[in-house]
Amino acid sequence: MNSLPIFKRLVEKPWIWSYVGMIVVWLATISYTGGKGGADVLTAALSFATFTVIVGIGQMFVITTGPGNVDLSIPATISFSGAVAMKIMDGSNSMLLIGLIVSLGCGLVVGVFNYMLIRVLRIPPIIATLSSSFLVLSTAIAYGRGLKIKPPGLLAEFATAQIYGVPILAIVVAGFAVVMGVVLNRTIYGRSVLAIGQNMRAAWLAGIKVEKIRFATYVLSAVLAALCGFVLAGFSGGASLNMGEEYLLGSIAVVVIGGTSVAGGKANVPGIWGAAMFMFLLVTMLNTFGASAGVRLILTGLIIVTVITIAGGDKPQR
Amino acid sequence: MLRTTILSAAAISCTLIATSVQADTSDKRIALSNNYAGNSWRQAMLQSWDKVTGAAVADGIVAEAPAFTTAENQVTEQAAQIQNLILQGYDAIVINAASPDALNGAVKQACDAGIVVVSFDGIVTEPCAYRIAVDFAGMGAVQIDYLAEHLPGGGNLLEIRGLAGVFVDDEISAGIHSGVAKHNQFNIVGSVHGNWAQDVAQKAVAGILPSLPEIAAVVTQGGDGYGAAQAFAAAGRPTPLIIMGNRHDELTWWKEQKDANGYETMSVSIAPGVSTLAFWVAQMVLDGADVPHDMIVPFLSISQDTLEESLANTQAGGVANVEYSLEDAKAVVAGK
Repeated sequence: MNSLPIFKRLVEKPWIWSYVGMIVVWLATISYTGGKGGADVLTAALSFATFTVIVGIGQMFVITTGPGNVDLSIPATISFSGAVAMKIMDGSNSMLLIGLIVSLGCGLVVGVFNYMLIRVLRIPPIIATLSSSFLVLSTAIAYGRGLKIKPPGLLAEFATAQIYGVPILAIVVAGFAVVMGVVLNRTIYGRSVLAIGQNMRAAWLAGIKVEKIRFATYVLSAVLAALCGFVLAGFSGGASLNMGEEYLLGSIAVVVIGGTSVAGGKANVPGIWGAAMFMFLLVTMLNTFGASAGVRLILTGLIIVTVITIAGGDKPQR
Repeated sequence: MLRTTILSAAAISCTLIATSVQADTSDKRIALSNNYAGNSWRQAMLQSWDKVTGAAVADGIVAEAPAFTTAENQVTEQAAQIQNLILQGYDAIVINAASPDALNGAVKQACDAGIVVVSFDGIVTEPCAYRIAVDFAGMGAVQIDYLAEHLPGGGNLLEIRGLAGVFVDDEISAGIHSGVAKHNQFNIVGSVHGNWAQDVAQKAVAGILPSLPEIAAVVTQGGDGYGAAQAFAAAGRPTPLIIMGNRHDELTWWKEQKDANGYETMSVSIAPGVSTLAFWVAQMVLDGADVPHDMIVPFLSISQDTLEESLANTQAGGVANVEYSLEDAKAVVAGK
């Protein structure tokens, strides 16, 4: 008798649908291959979802601060931070910590710069972060000239290590996601982000330091993007100029599919994991089926729309 | 071999240029209109352009030859850029186009204004423009020919394609499939899009690999070989024969494998220095030479024997490259 309320409670969670989608897609894949490689597909999905989750969490906080807030500089920051960190470390394990600090520093600078554009020059966030991404990517090009330097051995090992088929990096990031979940729901900062997203003026009247919170949020997003660039370069054997490209749409898609409201004020962390896994498994499924690129893109679009509709369709709007 | 002949040809042409070709185009201005700069191939392409045109300007062969790159890789933006170049009165525009047909309007305007238009790599279909095309289908077919020689028993192939919707991807893939039709001991069991990028290829291959049977070889389009190798290693599967592109990371990995266990493969790619070939063709047209509108440039191939030499000549993080001289351009114009 107890199971019904639990089931009902689960269905009401906005993030549940990304997990449902993930499981359905996974089952479809392994039934097509006759059960072959089911566990390996999940391992691969965990490895690659990890990077999307890192930037997805940052993007989620930004989107949650309300309509119009989005960070489009994430791909450029990933490339920039990866390129700078790899060049500074130059493959040496002893420089690992310095490389990490410099990489996070890159993120900090980009985040502060983004916020300056938004606040001081009063540029809408979409335009501000897009234009800053041009500057950041150009800096990366000028700095690295497309240079590909191998990551230090320790970083590469850490980024690719697994225990019983579970990537260590995924475990670390899962732990980080739990922490960010607590930050979102249980701290003054997280609560303030939600309040600002629901109504900025009401939040301000309630005494929330709106601009301070927004500042922290844009910096958080950029720093997480920089962190992603650092580990991604370690994972894929060096930084490349276009390695951030697919995280532009990816970071926004996982936030939305994960059940976070695009209008702001409503967010959850678990959905980002589900959505990131779902996105990877979806492409894998269509590749396994041997779908042509056109069919694959159409189906990807349709399935994402379907999941978003199911996840958000029947909720009464205020 | 190729390199030494080209170098010597370059040396000869330099001396020739200094004496003979000087006067006619010394006041001409040639602009490069480029749609994208965000990867190592394009970076090398721009560097080659700067190097060769810089020398040409210093030698007084042309007045100036600046390069312009659009920020967003969009057709409208490049069309506007070409219109600007027309207004600025360049004598020739060399184009790496974002689309084979969508720029035709702007290209026609340039032709009507008496400007010589030479397109390369990303070519334009407008008849008034010159096209330096790569034999992409041949790039695909030669891979299967190589495999037929090295894996006479045949086997399963994994195909890594490029960017969906780009004609280059379709052409190379068509070449690969025609090769498989010819050598029917091979069978393509999986196909993914790697977008010519190492990390994208790694991700796509890692996803599809668990569902695939044993893979004998991976056929590629360049830029994706190293990512494929990493995906196989991460999945704990034996490394198949992976056809490589011309990026430094691919060649380095190949060299490491070759030294460690005698790994054998080949590399096919398009040298980014093809931009310099387009420059010389534009210069020749301005000089009044008779140039056909459609030309084919050979692709760059690296074999087991030329690997060390190619790697030594490739800058760390760059791509294996060939810069062309006026002599090379004349050879291409003459159809070899």
